Amino acid sequence: MRWVIGALGVVMGAWGAFLLLPLVDVNLGLWFAGGPVVHDVLLAPFLGGLGLLIARWVPEPWRAPVQVGGILTGVLGLLAVPLLWRPFAGPPNPGLNDRDYLVGLLVAVGVIWLGVSAAALTGQARRRRTGAGGPTEQNKRPHADR
Amino acid sequence: MKVPALKVPARESSPHTATRIGLWLGIAFGLCFVTGLLSHYVQHPPGWFAWPTRPVGLYRITQGVHVTSGVAAIPLLLAKLWTVYPKLFARPLVKSVPHALERGSILVLLGASFFELVTGLFNATQNYPWQFFFPPAHHAVAWIAVGALLVHIAVKLPLMRTPAEEVRLSSSHPGKLSRRGFLLTTGGAAAVAVLATAGGTVPWLRTVSVLGTRSAALPVNRTAAAAGVSTVDSDWRLTVGSRQFSRPELEALPQTTAELPIACVEGWSASARWTGVPVRDLLALAGVEPGDVRVESLERDGLYRASTLPAAHARDPLTLLALEVDGETLSLDHGYPCRLIAPSRPGVTQTKWVTRLEVVR
Repeated sequence: MRWVIGALGVVMGAWGAFLLLPLVDVNLGLWFAGGPVVHDVLLAPFLGGLGLLIARWVPEPWRAPVQVGGILTGVLGLLAVPLLWRPFAGPPNPGLNDRDYLVGLLVAVGVIWLGVSAAALTGQARRRRTGAGGPTEQNKRPHADR
Repeated sequence: MKVPALKVPARESSPHTATRIGLWLGIAFGLCFVTGLLSHYVQHPPGWFAWPTRPVGLYRITQGVHVTSGVAAIPLLLAKLWTVYPKLFARPLVKSVPHALERGSILVLLGASFFELVTGLFNATQNYPWQFFFPPAHHAVAWIAVGALLVHIAVKLPLMRTPAEEVRLSSSHPGKLSRRGFLLTTGGAAAVAVLATAGGTVPWLRTVSVLGTRSAALPVNRTAAAAGVSTVDSDWRLTVGSRQFSRPELEALPQTTAELPIACVEGWSASARWTGVPVRDLLALAGVEPGDVRVESLERDGLYRASTLPAAHARDPLTLLALEVDGETLSLDHGYPCRLIAPSRPGVTQTKWVTRLEVVR
């Protein structure tokens, strides 16, 4: 079964390469190679560093919500790039791209961070109610809040 | 390596999480590939291909699924790469010929996947920062992406069958989120991405979709000015075979009104009430045998100045040469004096400013 799937994949990939061959030039090559390079060299280390900062500086009840909020903000930010950065846009098409995307993005991000605050505060309240006892993240790892 | 110097707890890749997200990503890519291929064949039909005329919103659905699954795949791909990122630094770089081939196939998979998602996202907003022509490149690289994905699945299949417990014990958690939390966040990010964009084709999401295209009820993709159509005077005639019709003559013919969507390849869609003369009635009046119909526009050049209506669509009673939309005479931007509107067809083939209908076979 694995061999069948693999062979099918090779045939489909070869067909795609055959279709792509007449279109290949430097610009297309850059767009093809650019994704993995930008991700591996810039995006992933940046996110890793950000995660590290959150782990070091954000106190425990806030840590997970802040991570989730950061991820959602990042995804929305990426999706907004082609709407906000438009030097290469085609001719204007009435009614297609004429929302205020910056305001929309800011509102969505605001809603997300309200959710983050709510989640963290309810977590804090729950922790206080149940008392300091119990195996929380903090007493398992004494330096977690440093 | 800087990472150990920062005293970060060593992070291993987590195959169990990776295969879970991989499964979701595989479903998204599969949907995206199949619907994309359908869209390609609808626009460039090979001899064996037939596209139904019902439901009238079929293309609206398939292309909506195409763009939506592509958007959902963006956070899924990033999460998937996050779970396996440590593997990038595995040493030795290559252990054997099969290992080298596997790493090579992953590089192809990533290049093709990013290419498809990034070019697709930019195209959906009609933003073109590259120099190549989008449709053939997006189509060709889709085959490469899915081919490389199948190779990757074939290589990793045994890992997927690893019992969850075993994998869970041997893997460390990704970051401070728990494994479950990471999976939930990934699913949530995909859902947020879809909600933020799907309003372009799902009407009740319009207010929520802050990053959706199509703010107007019925946008104009190609304006009359862009098409070089400035004014249409009274000696305009529609030619069907050897017959000619003026606009008053068309208005005097029996009219059909139908609720039909315009569904753009870029993923937005909008429904409207169109009124006009069925194409099959015009062909019958001109005494032409029905078949595939070439529809030509006043537009002098441009890729979409003409379209070919397949015989099944030409015979359909709801395929109209529309004179009105939502009870009002077509504006010049919407294709005055008349435009084609057919059920279950991509927007680019709904030719505007029609001047000639000709049966080609």
